[in-house]
Amino acid sequence: MLSIPTTCPFCACGCGFYLLANKGQLVGVAPSETHAISAGRLCARGWSAHEAALWGDRLRRPLLQHNGTLGPASWVEALDHVAGRIRNLIDTGKSVGILGSPRATNEENYLAGKLARAGFQTNNVDFCFHSLCRPLFEGFEEVSGQYSPCMRLNDIESCQTILLLEGDLAKTHPQAASSVMRALESGAHLITIGYIRTQMARLSSLHLRTTPGNEGAVLNGLVASVLHLGLEDPTSVAVHCEGYDALRRELATAKMTEEMHQAAACIARAKQTAFLMAPTSGQGDQPRKDAAALATLAAITGHLDKPGSGLLPLLARSNVQGACDMGVAPDRLPGYEPCDGGQCRHRLQELWGKELPSARGLDAETLLQSVSGVIILADDPPSVLAMGQRAMAAMAKIEFLVVLDAFVTPTVTISHVALPIASFAETDGTLTSMEGRVQGLRGTTDPPGEARPGWQVLAELCTRFQVDASYGSASDVRREIAQAAPRYARTEQPESGDGWGGTWVGDSDKRKFRLSATRVAALTSAECPHVLAREGTYDWGRDPLVSFSPTLSRDYQSQRKLFLNGLVEICKQDADRLGLRAGWLVRLTSVHGDAVVPVRVRMDLEPGVILVPYAFRDHVASVLGTDSIAAVKVEQT
Amino acid sequence: MVFTIEKQGIARWLEKLLETSALIAPVRGPCGDVVFSTIRSPDQVLWNFGNPLHPPKQFVLPQTDPIVAIKRNGQRHEVEPIHDDAPRILFNLRNCDAKGITFLTQMHAMEPADASYLRRSNSITVISLACNTPCPQGFCVCTDSGPFLSSGYDIQLTDLGEKYLAEVGSEKGEAAISGVVNLFRTATGSEVAQRKTLEVKARSHFGEETCHFASAMRRISTGRVQDALWDKMSDWCLECGACTLACPTCYCFSVKDLRRDGGWIRCRLWDSCQYGAFTLEASGHNPREQRKERMKRRFFHKASAQYYMRDGMVGCVGCGRCVKVCLGTTDMPAVVGAIRKGKWHE
Repeated sequence: MLSIPTTCPFCACGCGFYLLANKGQLVGVAPSETHAISAGRLCARGWSAHEAALWGDRLRRPLLQHNGTLGPASWVEALDHVAGRIRNLIDTGKSVGILGSPRATNEENYLAGKLARAGFQTNNVDFCFHSLCRPLFEGFEEVSGQYSPCMRLNDIESCQTILLLEGDLAKTHPQAASSVMRALESGAHLITIGYIRTQMARLSSLHLRTTPGNEGAVLNGLVASVLHLGLEDPTSVAVHCEGYDALRRELATAKMTEEMHQAAACIARAKQTAFLMAPTSGQGDQPRKDAAALATLAAITGHLDKPGSGLLPLLARSNVQGACDMGVAPDRLPGYEPCDGGQCRHRLQELWGKELPSARGLDAETLLQSVSGVIILADDPPSVLAMGQRAMAAMAKIEFLVVLDAFVTPTVTISHVALPIASFAETDGTLTSMEGRVQGLRGTTDPPGEARPGWQVLAELCTRFQVDASYGSASDVRREIAQAAPRYARTEQPESGDGWGGTWVGDSDKRKFRLSATRVAALTSAECPHVLAREGTYDWGRDPLVSFSPTLSRDYQSQRKLFLNGLVEICKQDADRLGLRAGWLVRLTSVHGDAVVPVRVRMDLEPGVILVPYAFRDHVASVLGTDSIAAVKVEQT
Repeated sequence: MVFTIEKQGIARWLEKLLETSALIAPVRGPCGDVVFSTIRSPDQVLWNFGNPLHPPKQFVLPQTDPIVAIKRNGQRHEVEPIHDDAPRILFNLRNCDAKGITFLTQMHAMEPADASYLRRSNSITVISLACNTPCPQGFCVCTDSGPFLSSGYDIQLTDLGEKYLAEVGSEKGEAAISGVVNLFRTATGSEVAQRKTLEVKARSHFGEETCHFASAMRRISTGRVQDALWDKMSDWCLECGACTLACPTCYCFSVKDLRRDGGWIRCRLWDSCQYGAFTLEASGHNPREQRKERMKRRFFHKASAQYYMRDGMVGCVGCGRCVKVCLGTTDMPAVVGAIRKGKWHE
């Protein structure tokens, strides 16, 4: 039996475990007491991590589309065909782009960015999950001047106060929830903000109720309470904060409640406070403003730059942070630096030996709908993007679609070329967790069939576009990353020697904080008194890592199988008032359009909220339009 | 039969065993963890170690266990059982784990007997190492599964300083020393007495974890645990399933076919009764939809009089693994304690 230490490929907590293999085949997972984050504790996903790679419908050889059907091809044939077609599209003035992936390693994402920028001369590079977490990064960056997180997961346990603006932490990030529970056991206060009385809300000492899109009112209320009660940290405000007086003026009329006062006191007086935030829903730039308001709360209470305190964005997939750090964004270069910024661009031009484009590229949604040639790395846009199945329709119209994946996803089935790459269990590389910890993935078994490590395939493509990419191993790519993104200078060899390794990236200079309040906009009206919100919780059920795992897919998919027509959730009071029972159909009408869907009645939802699970977003796409929330009228049909 | 073996003779014994069997023992893993692994040389074996987090149950009941090969032959399907009866020796197991394997074997031998399991377990020899110093999280003294055992092992070793006492408990145990009888000599009365003294000393040195099953069992068996208590406790569970996966006595499984080479391999997979859809029925009905129902079921199986009567022991060997692996805070001692006291976190 072989046990190989590796990093969990699911969420961004960054747990570690041993993958067990016997006779070249994965057989299980064993926990490790010595891993800094997981310390022997894994969630259900971690315990079944070997299953997807073992049971999954794997892509085993390169496939090329002939006359509308995919057929086997040799690697050289497939790679030459990709290079030829893309080159042809570029030469005829058509636009091309690349989608990286939060399921791929840093090395793969870095090379995807390099191929797009140096090879295709375009900034059309992004990843599908970006639009959901980008507001969090940008909001934090707006206030703190840096986008990387300031807080370590392990520090949560020693916090006296934890403020959680949540999706459903116990389900999305069980390891983080575990840290919160341990803090609670040692007497910490948990304050939750949300519109569902979730498991964590039930454990909290204070639950601040809100409705979707209205989280900002609570955040503004908390900041106003701190100011009103004189709880600011004087040093922090005097030395680090800008815009204090403007903030005071702006929040002079903010609504406060007794509960907010209590919460503000708890947050401000604690020696260490953790601020955990999941992506929120809202129209326009509301989610970004909310993130900025949370960062402002941390800044004025002196917790933003205090060791053991700080912000932690709750990122759903394992390498969201890494994909951003590698510059898989239409406006950011490796290191998440702006792509029109002089110094970084200059450094990369030297390193890559090519002129780089400076104009902002297209984001994932637009890219899929407007470019002629797309390379998609290890992702399935329809299951990840908020636009759902509309992404499938958009992809079907793309002139030349190339997919690099370990699994046969729906996207692979409509691609023109499918290139098989190694899964997380078969490749070396690194992932960056949501706290900025860079840890190694280690190949445990050989990739099936003719599949190759993703970095190798991308390097081959780079070479075909006259971009230097002569790497002997993933470590060689990592050495180049260290030069391209100085923040990664210390992460060249995360797996060197014995032990788990792992290094943190992040800047720790003292900075100026720019304080900012968020907007509070009234969404509902007398005509449309309910808020329909798309739940932000990532749909793991459609992710190949879950859907191909026998144990996990049962737990994640069995519920949805009962609701082939989708569903929306409504609270008991509203259901009673509208005369609705579970399973009945309702008509939802917004300014965008209407839809008829079955309802499920929940006891733990706030009145006035109609919630649609991320998995069922397609069924109400006509009501939501392009936003994540909408005011709706609900009628029994 | 009780023997002793000098410590310097151990290496030769192990070399002899390695000639005929795969030898599985606790070794230091690449990241500092103690793990059970097949060894190639006697010096890999650890003698002073905390019990590995991943239990040796994986060698009788693997996490992925191929049981049947299915091949298509024209219009028919050919089904062939997959046997694994390679001789294996589990060496330096702690007694809690030895007892765990006894429990699993007893369960799988019940009618209808599980031939696949029994074939594998029958070819395994268990050589355990008694704990002169109990581990901090262990509470085997509460479950009658350590620190010393009086049965359930093939050989039980006890560290007597210069030598090991070897109590042979079965024919398989006898066979394991038969090739090297010159290394073993019959133990003297004082050596046996020394082992008794060590046992008494070890029993008085248990750590902070205790788990008093008796009164909890009375409450569980007669349905006198308040629903509100299950409600409260279940909020501290994160449904990771680790308590069952890492438990030396848990054996719940599901079955799934793995596509290989044009056919299928039917596999038995570790599963957990704590997972939401574990009891989901084809109709869509789930008798244990709520987490508290699943938790209730787990502790009923582990610690009710009904199961105690059937199995002759509680479904726990006091290894303390659940204390370490529980992502929430609902490990065995915590829940049993709460049931006994009728309150949780108060």
